[in-house]
Amino acid sequence: MMGFKLSRGDGLVWLLAATLLAGLYTAFWQADGHGAEAVVLVNGKRWARLDLFHNQDLEVPGPLGHSHIQVRDGQARFVDSPCPNKLCVHTGWLSQGGEVAICLPNKVSLQILASDPRFDAINF
Amino acid sequence: MNQTLQTTRDDHLIAGFAALAITIHIAESALPSPLPGIKPGLANVVTLMVLCRYGWQMAAWVALLRVLVGSILIGTFLSPTFFLSAAGALASVGVLGLLFAFSRGFPRWAVSPLGFGVAAALAHMSGQFWLAYVVFVPHSGLLALYPLLMTLAAVLGVVSGLLTRTVLGRLKKPLPSTP
Repeated sequence: MMGFKLSRGDGLVWLLAATLLAGLYTAFWQADGHGAEAVVLVNGKRWARLDLFHNQDLEVPGPLGHSHIQVRDGQARFVDSPCPNKLCVHTGWLSQGGEVAICLPNKVSLQILASDPRFDAINF
Repeated sequence: MNQTLQTTRDDHLIAGFAALAITIHIAESALPSPLPGIKPGLANVVTLMVLCRYGWQMAAWVALLRVLVGSILIGTFLSPTFFLSAAGALASVGVLGLLFAFSRGFPRWAVSPLGFGVAAALAHMSGQFWLAYVVFVPHSGLLALYPLLMTLAAVLGVVSGLLTRTVLGRLKKPLPSTP
């Protein structure tokens, strides 16, 4: 029996195949409907657009003070906000396209963007 | 009136190898499969072996005859299974043709059964997958399966390449092909 020996041509073919597979996984397994970006609005105007896979903490200035927004591994949430009832904080982590958390008193909102949103509309 | 069809030695070889491939194809179709579209592709070993010994043209004949006659014998001729199988075989024969020409053109980069096997398996899977996606089940959920199916195809391609190499190693030198 011959050993496990690859020719240079085989190596090239395998390399191309591996590249193709890696490309397929990134192309088709990019969290579908799972938003990859979020948008922060202050007073109805866009304040920032966030990459959900870039972990960061933001201090968003509103009329009452700073709302603290956190981005971790594909999710985002309000950690704290200078409002009386903390509805935005209690909304918790957002990850699905279309999900939204709003701090009305501080006029800050956080929404997950997606080409194929999980929700068409959300009522409170 | 007595007419004899002139046959060459290549025709006999094609018929023989196709018969072998069809037998394996049918035996394999009796095996249960965990996922639709996933088969070990043992019949493809015959195609690869013919490719390495006699060149692309004969391999193409063997592969396409296998799909055609195999489906007639199993009873899936002109059914979706047949079209999926045919799309896969055509894609795989096409890719093998390109690789074979490349191998001939650049002998330093010659491809062995291990390379052919992986390329053929990936092409076969792609051919049948895209036909399935475009014609039979145009639902975007199917796309999520594609990388997974391709990974399995690559693994099975390595297996069929190894098998082909083992078979080739045990065969005698091929007789020269008739011109």
